[in-house]
Amino acid sequence: MSDRGLAVVFTSPALLLLLAMSVFPLLWALYLSFTDYSATRGGPAEFVGFGNYTAILTSEQVHLRALTTLIYVVGAVTLQTVLGFGIAYLISRRTRGRGALTTMFLVPMMLSPVVVGLFWRFMLDAQFGVVNSMLGSLGLGQVEWLTRQRTALLSLIVVDTWQWTPFIMLIALAGLSAVPKYLYEAASIDRASEWFRFRTITLPLVWPLLLIAVMFRAIEAFRLFDLVYILTNGGPGVSTETMSFHIYKVAFLGFNTGTASAYGILMVLVVIVLTQLYLRYLNKLKEG
Amino acid sequence: MRLATAAMLLLATTAAACGDSKDDGEKASAPKAPATIPQLTNDPLTLSFIWFEWPPAQALEAFANAEYKKVRPNATIKVNTVPNANWHDAMFTQFAAHKTDFDIAILDSQHIGEAVTNGNILDITDFVKNNIDVTAYNPYLLAAYGQFPQAETGKRDENASLYGLPLLGDTWTMIYRKDLIGDKPPQTWDEMISTAEKCQADNPGVSGLAFHQANGSDAAAVTYNTVNGVYGGNLWDAKNRKIEGVLNDAAGQEAMDVLVNKMKPLTAKGSGNWFIDEVNAAVAQGKACIAFNWIAASGGLLDPKQSTLGTSREQILDKLGFATLPSQKTNLVPLGGMGMHVSAYSSAANQAEALNFMKWFEQADIQKKWAAAGGVPARTDALASPEFLNAGPFNQVYADSVPRMRDMWNVPEYARLVDIENTNVNAALNGAKKPKDALDDIAKEQQSVLDSSNRKGGGGL
Repeated sequence: MSDRGLAVVFTSPALLLLLAMSVFPLLWALYLSFTDYSATRGGPAEFVGFGNYTAILTSEQVHLRALTTLIYVVGAVTLQTVLGFGIAYLISRRTRGRGALTTMFLVPMMLSPVVVGLFWRFMLDAQFGVVNSMLGSLGLGQVEWLTRQRTALLSLIVVDTWQWTPFIMLIALAGLSAVPKYLYEAASIDRASEWFRFRTITLPLVWPLLLIAVMFRAIEAFRLFDLVYILTNGGPGVSTETMSFHIYKVAFLGFNTGTASAYGILMVLVVIVLTQLYLRYLNKLKEG
Repeated sequence: MRLATAAMLLLATTAAACGDSKDDGEKASAPKAPATIPQLTNDPLTLSFIWFEWPPAQALEAFANAEYKKVRPNATIKVNTVPNANWHDAMFTQFAAHKTDFDIAILDSQHIGEAVTNGNILDITDFVKNNIDVTAYNPYLLAAYGQFPQAETGKRDENASLYGLPLLGDTWTMIYRKDLIGDKPPQTWDEMISTAEKCQADNPGVSGLAFHQANGSDAAAVTYNTVNGVYGGNLWDAKNRKIEGVLNDAAGQEAMDVLVNKMKPLTAKGSGNWFIDEVNAAVAQGKACIAFNWIAASGGLLDPKQSTLGTSREQILDKLGFATLPSQKTNLVPLGGMGMHVSAYSSAANQAEALNFMKWFEQADIQKKWAAAGGVPARTDALASPEFLNAGPFNQVYADSVPRMRDMWNVPEYARLVDIENTNVNAALNGAKKPKDALDDIAKEQQSVLDSSNRKGGGGL
């Protein structure tokens, strides 16, 4: 057998699996997105052209969920970036206990989002939660974390930040470790201030890597479902319903499979377009 | 470029393959069960149910394995459970796949329309005629758990088809603290509110009321529907499929006002996401003067291991009372509970066993045993039996509530309708929407779901 043949033999199982588990469902969803089809009602999928897409793009309900998702993504990713980079910067300056500290900070990231959601739900419970208990012992009043419009979305952002800040921290730490030492030595000789060193050496060199981490987190946050499902179920009302959660409802409450497919495809398109723009900016940054 | 061509080719192939759906466009309808039970197998067989996780599920499995095995030693009963919030999805996603790992689906009464329209469960009309004594039931109970199209409140249409038989009856009970408000429960809704108000003022740390407010399952929706019924409102005009102008009429508005502005202030802070377990926890920990909960979920309140109200069942019962719901303009109460429905995708042997189980389960003596085991039967004789009435302090409440019951809509669009109501009532209860706006939004959105049932594309938003 030729080398090429061998390569085909060895890669075909993985390729077939990829086709079956990823490519086919994606194309199937793409096909269904142009049809009026329900997985439970039976009957053939009726072609409706861009009907589903038009309905989604003009729906006030979708606009509301898009705004919620945007607030969530911006809030969570900003907070995680600032905290993650801050923690990484502080850890990078330590020589002792660095490994232990890093490991400790990484623990939340290792947990299942459902588990995280459940125990934060208990912790944030207005009546019996430890958070309100601590606030009470400080003489502060009870906060309805999960049942008030303002605090519910904030709670989601805080919980997501607690879990995913370590991800940004890890990447930032890798970037910080890669900064050549001689640059700092040269700055020391020039008696540069700490702030000057940070602004002119650390940040510019870590920035591109940090932006990649931000992109990954933003994509993840954009698809948020599990925490919403466990913590607030989209409430109060629909004020914490993200787009992913809304798709779930469209897909499984009324089994509007065609509409849900179009909704999902649109979300994928949004991610692809934004990622492309972002990567172009990153490339420009690299060239600069 | 080559990749794009390949993708387009694959897409075209997929579309061609899938376009040739096995359904030929005919509207699905439920397949018929045989009028008589087919020959049963003597091979070992597991009869599987699907329900949500709560005490009656374990009670059913234990009861059926103890009693049904006496007549069918080769059959094992397995009750698979899922969290309440996933119950509908867990059943209907399997129905969608036309392959179920359960033989008997325990559907909420409101799920029947969707399951029948999709052809997911068997039409057991002929089977019932031959095997079940329909006169042994309150007609409305038989209708609520099996009939489609939907029954008119309190009645059964004898010409309509049946798709299920009652498994567990249920309604709300009012749970009240006898040691705080006295032995005599409030008789009217207004009196109940003022009693709760006084109790809350007199007992710091104890909230006046505890009830379902969550936006999952049907929690907040049932709460509003209950108050709506008591204040003389209607959920819809079933004949003309009208919700807008019916739900949000003066009576509906008054009910929403009572719920949000009079009842909600008497609940514990942060209780806006409470459902069955949270209400029970508040009662068991002595944190509520008056609470409302489903009877079938109230058994745990008498368990001293789970309660701070006493170290024995008797001590707890000295403090806790169970009563039928107070009335106001009407005396309506919510119909809860579920029926048994045979999956259309189960094997022939298991369908036969399922029908046999249902026939066995609906017998008078078995229904009484089920009552003694903690179940809530539907047969009139079982409801009046000492086995049932003495099994729990709330069983008399159920028996008295049967003639007062009102159900929701069991149309195919139920899941969407209830979600609209749940989220909006929950929003009103938690200050995210004004009560009037919430009710108007419910009416408008629900009407649009009913009106767009036959519209093509963009459904479900």
